[in-house]
Amino acid sequence: MIRMAITRINVGPIHPSTHGVARLVVDVDGDTIVNVEPHVGFLHRGVEKLTETRMYMQAPPYMEKLDYFAPMAYNDAYVAAVEAAMDIQPSEKAKYVRTILLELQRLASHLVSIGTLCNDLGQMFTGFMWAFKDRDIILDLLQEATGSRMFYVNMRLGGLHSELPADFEEHAITTMNYIEKRIGEYESYIEKNTVFMERMKGVGVLSSEDAKALGVTGPVLRASGINYDVRKNSPYYAYSKLYFNPKVMLQGDNFSRYKVRMMEMRESARLVKAAIKAMPDGAATGMPVKLRSPNAVNKVSVVSREVPRGECMMYLVADPQKPYRLSIRSPSMVNLAAISHIAKGARFADLFSIFGTLDVVLGCVDR
Amino acid sequence: MHMDETVDQESAEFSNAKQEMDRLVYDSLKSREVKPNAMFARLSDLTKSTGTVKKVVNWSRTNSLWPLQFGLACCAAELMDFGSSRIDAERKGYLLFRGTPRQCDVMVVAGWVTKSMVPEVKRLYEQMSKPRYVIAYGECATCGGPWWESYNIMQGIDQVLKVDVYVAGCPPRPENLFAALMKLQKKVGGVVEG
Repeated sequence: MIRMAITRINVGPIHPSTHGVARLVVDVDGDTIVNVEPHVGFLHRGVEKLTETRMYMQAPPYMEKLDYFAPMAYNDAYVAAVEAAMDIQPSEKAKYVRTILLELQRLASHLVSIGTLCNDLGQMFTGFMWAFKDRDIILDLLQEATGSRMFYVNMRLGGLHSELPADFEEHAITTMNYIEKRIGEYESYIEKNTVFMERMKGVGVLSSEDAKALGVTGPVLRASGINYDVRKNSPYYAYSKLYFNPKVMLQGDNFSRYKVRMMEMRESARLVKAAIKAMPDGAATGMPVKLRSPNAVNKVSVVSREVPRGECMMYLVADPQKPYRLSIRSPSMVNLAAISHIAKGARFADLFSIFGTLDVVLGCVDR
Repeated sequence: MHMDETVDQESAEFSNAKQEMDRLVYDSLKSREVKPNAMFARLSDLTKSTGTVKKVVNWSRTNSLWPLQFGLACCAAELMDFGSSRIDAERKGYLLFRGTPRQCDVMVVAGWVTKSMVPEVKRLYEQMSKPRYVIAYGECATCGGPWWESYNIMQGIDQVLKVDVYVAGCPPRPENLFAALMKLQKKVGGVVEG
């Protein structure tokens, strides 16, 4: 066999398939990847430092721009950390409403993931069109509840900025029924496509030991056969009262990562309906935003949340009126680091299907 | 014997073609303006034309705006939505998002521009064919937005590039990009001075 010299290929920072501005330096031997080195920091704007100069409730708009496909999830994680620092418990109704909105956000985020994955594979633009059409329908629902299309900033200390509108529950149930029907259509369209299956099955395998060692979370971890979901392992809000199962696949390849997201979408739609049915009476509105919030009583609070891309942690060291230090554990960052392990030995063309299934958001990686 | 002749003939044709190509490249390099893409450089001379020719050129430019597939941050999510089925930008002829800057004439700067991204954005802009236009989409590209006080952010892309249309919003709705492109069309067609 003739061995070719190792070639170094630069991908990005601006590339149609990088889901943002990541730079990958890829060493290839012929067509086989020898090494991938992700370079990050092209979107760094110092979120953690900026929050130190703001009062507690001035920071949520920054948190929302971390992961712009699931803004509410990060906003919720931050507000929960502040609530923990101030010893505030959200009302029972607020817990249910947050659960519903977060699950809707998860649906919207996974739809983007699957849509862009279809786009990355080259010839499946229909999948992109379908996914974004349905995402728009869910964003309409969120707009109805919060008043905004993408950045909601609707979490308040002890609740939300307003009650749900009167006909929201009915709209949500109709939409969820529609989405459940659509998920079946997606599966029949995507999984009957030979090209898609050839590029997904058995490509980019991450074994469960490696997944544990690399510290990946979320759908990427569950696709490698490890049953770990923050919603189940340390439940918050209404997740302890609602019945659901974390979705797990055993193979750890591209296809399982895609399939776990697909199954989670179905579960989310079901969870939204169940939460609406079980919603207690009462008020969901929290404290109005004022410059002075209640003083923080706990010096350190750590909050862990299952955001669509994995486990997000907020580590907050509190001054009375503003964060002294906020550290964010971003799931995207850890999942991106795993690419240099997963892509080793794969073909160069498969790099982008692997990148697509890891579903990384660069705004969250660079912070 | 016969095969050798064919090969000779083919190689002769090949060398002729190669010489032709060399000549073309040499010609284009010899012209006063040395450009990486000589053909587009010559087409851009049409800007100096007048009368009916100018009208025809403006009309064709107005109706074939090709944006660059280039997203930076949150606003890029709305840019994707702009291309998808609800807004359906293709019905107005805007949607030919190209992966390479050499085929594009509109750059939609969607997101905050960090100091490490400035050389990349500038390079992309310089690679685009002339005449080229820039839309600053969203607060961050317009003025730095919420990151105004950050140590790593350009306070608006207009510090490095000449911007044609500004779009306000965080993020602006996809409909706003539609409006911005319609405004840009008026500018390209010479209806509005800008």
